[in-house]
Amino acid sequence: MNESCYGCSTCASADKPLEGFIAGLPMETSHHRVESQETKCGFGLQGVCCRLCANGPCRITPESPRGICGATADVMVTRNLLRAVASGSGCYIHVVENTALNLRNTAIEKGKFKGPGALERLCKLFGVSGKDDYEKALNVSNAVLNDLYKPEYVKMDLVEKMAYPPRFKVWKELGILPGGAKSEVFKGVVKCSTNLNSDPVNMLLDCLKLGISTGIYGLTLTNLLNDVLLGEPEIRMAPVGLRVIDPDYINIMITGHQHTMFVHLQERLTEPDVVAKAKAVGAKGFKLVGCTCVGQDLQLRGAHYTEIFDGHAGNNYTSEAILATGGIDAVISEFNCTLPGIEPICDELLIKQICVDDVAKKANAEYVPFTFADRGKQSEIIIDKIIAAYKERRPKVKLNLLPEHGYENNLTGVSEVSLKKFLGGSWKPLIDLIVSGDIKGVAGVVGCSSLVAGGHDVLTVALVKELIAKDIIVLTAGCSSGGIENCGLMVPEAAELAGPKLKAVCKKLGIPPVLNFGPCLAIGRLEIVATELAEAIGIDIPQLPLVLSAAQWLEEQALADGCFGLALGLPLHLGLPPFVTGSKVATQVLCQDMKALTGGQVIINGDAKESAELLEKVILEKRAALKI
Amino acid sequence: MKRIFIDREKCDGCKNCTVACMQAHRATPGTVYDLDLLDRKNEARHTIVSDGKGRYTPVFCRHCAVPDCVGACMSGALKKEPDTGHVQYDEKRCGTCFMCVMSCPYGNVKPDKATRSKILKCDFCKDDPEGPNCVRACPKKAIWVEEVEVL
Repeated sequence: MNESCYGCSTCASADKPLEGFIAGLPMETSHHRVESQETKCGFGLQGVCCRLCANGPCRITPESPRGICGATADVMVTRNLLRAVASGSGCYIHVVENTALNLRNTAIEKGKFKGPGALERLCKLFGVSGKDDYEKALNVSNAVLNDLYKPEYVKMDLVEKMAYPPRFKVWKELGILPGGAKSEVFKGVVKCSTNLNSDPVNMLLDCLKLGISTGIYGLTLTNLLNDVLLGEPEIRMAPVGLRVIDPDYINIMITGHQHTMFVHLQERLTEPDVVAKAKAVGAKGFKLVGCTCVGQDLQLRGAHYTEIFDGHAGNNYTSEAILATGGIDAVISEFNCTLPGIEPICDELLIKQICVDDVAKKANAEYVPFTFADRGKQSEIIIDKIIAAYKERRPKVKLNLLPEHGYENNLTGVSEVSLKKFLGGSWKPLIDLIVSGDIKGVAGVVGCSSLVAGGHDVLTVALVKELIAKDIIVLTAGCSSGGIENCGLMVPEAAELAGPKLKAVCKKLGIPPVLNFGPCLAIGRLEIVATELAEAIGIDIPQLPLVLSAAQWLEEQALADGCFGLALGLPLHLGLPPFVTGSKVATQVLCQDMKALTGGQVIINGDAKESAELLEKVILEKRAALKI
Repeated sequence: MKRIFIDREKCDGCKNCTVACMQAHRATPGTVYDLDLLDRKNEARHTIVSDGKGRYTPVFCRHCAVPDCVGACMSGALKKEPDTGHVQYDEKRCGTCFMCVMSCPYGNVKPDKATRSKILKCDFCKDDPEGPNCVRACPKKAIWVEEVEVL
């Protein structure tokens, strides 16, 4: 093989133009490395490889049914799962903590709130008030922070205020109401350390508990706090794909999930003196190029940022390709989905890497820590560094843009508030369509893109196509949205791909059959929709003809999100098992017994057609039970 | 004929070949995710021998030029196939005398642990056009298939 030929072995992608682009790149990406990592460890896949102590790795075989310590397959699997869920929960709790801190500091400094409606809503939810918006925001952020910092043995206050009462009752009965969210992560990792807990069911219940704290705080509340600072989502049309990169500007790509860390920088980038700096080096100004979930977040609220935000270019496993266009001048990282694979590409194309939160410190990034008090000074440092990089790199780097990639006219800005407003201020029109059967059911398709479930976005996109063809409307959140929109399923014309009934609904309303709620954090928004629908009908969440799929789940965070879905009582489809099948107990509890506990269940299937049939069957069963 | 070769220097003892062998010979269809790793019926047909000092030797059936196991088999259950050169086992003809087990110098014909009523040996994944699954599963390429001439 020619040394410079990297295109011979890329994995498949649902996005064919992207697949061709990556195959033709003169550099290596994750898509090229799939083949060389094809051999997977069978013990690892089943979750029965234990590396918790120096006796290990211990593996389960017919001749060795227990680890040296005596741990069974059930113990190994549930310990590994609890570790992953605790870690994933910790990630989201980090995000909500920073978001609440930024809101709190903005309130103290009497800064700007772009979403006063969201603030009122939170005050109402929490039952707090204040003499002005600053005091209200202070009280709201303090309520969140106080809960996060509680010890594990003190239950959090906002859970009951945020949760749907029938759900709260179930959680209370199961004994899975979480204590302080940070302490729950601590408890989780303690429990699954070497030679402590060996009760698989006890550890699975902890996973659910972590799911609740992750879902209510990390997901739902992060969105609502973001809404206060950044502005509420508004439904509009926006472009997606590599086409959004405009080489006439100095382009900054942000990776992560913490949009509030960019509030100051984002505002500065459009101010005349900063634009003048860009013009002095030959650019028209600055643009933010959306990538990963923070890009989805920008897109969701894009109505407030039309001047600075160019559009969403792609999801996690598109980020290397976005950089490989050469059109990006700097990457600012602050959280996950910042692939280590971007580092050599940034080096080669002289792309400046800056990290503002050391949880995402990249090996070759300069660390400019975000602290609220110093944000002004740091924005200037970042701007100057990026301008210097632009000046240095642009004459040296050949651009390899793909301006025809993606779609121009995608429906975005969908949230639980904007969608309800679009429906005329109540969920009744949607409920009526579900009752009449014009919409058979609702599927939340969420999560990431992984490269081994058929390839980049392959299972997700194929599943969505199958679902809409069955008149099931799809709501998305996370990197899955980035893939689905780059494949053209979020333009109104995609209505043609839906089944006859859903197609008619979409055409009448001028909407696509897939509605994008934005970042993975917005899984929390989907769950608000579910709650409000259940409330409007007067039933519990598991009774809704609603299913969840994280077809191409990737990370520990996805597992924590998934546990929230299970705690809510939703059927959760996964394309690949979460390394649990080596345990009969874990498999039985997750796929079967959970139905009796919370109403939820895990459904594992890697085939799009079969998966859609399984999910349709669940929806039909729920419809039958509701006599509709 | 084709034979599996080993390079003991490369073997890390990960047992991925073992899982692949179990998966290739399981009674019920399924994926590696639902392969029952605790079920003795899914026993692998080779062994990885550790020297206790961090070195491993993968021991695979040689499909010998003059196989002692075939020579010892009185019932005709073990036969060296003339076209492939591979030693294949016919359970229906087996008298369970285990003479083959006693005569194999490599210890690679073994009674099955689940029932003790038949023997287990490498069949070179004869029904799989892609060849032995263990070889494909080895991340270190410590085992591979080579064409050899048999005199």
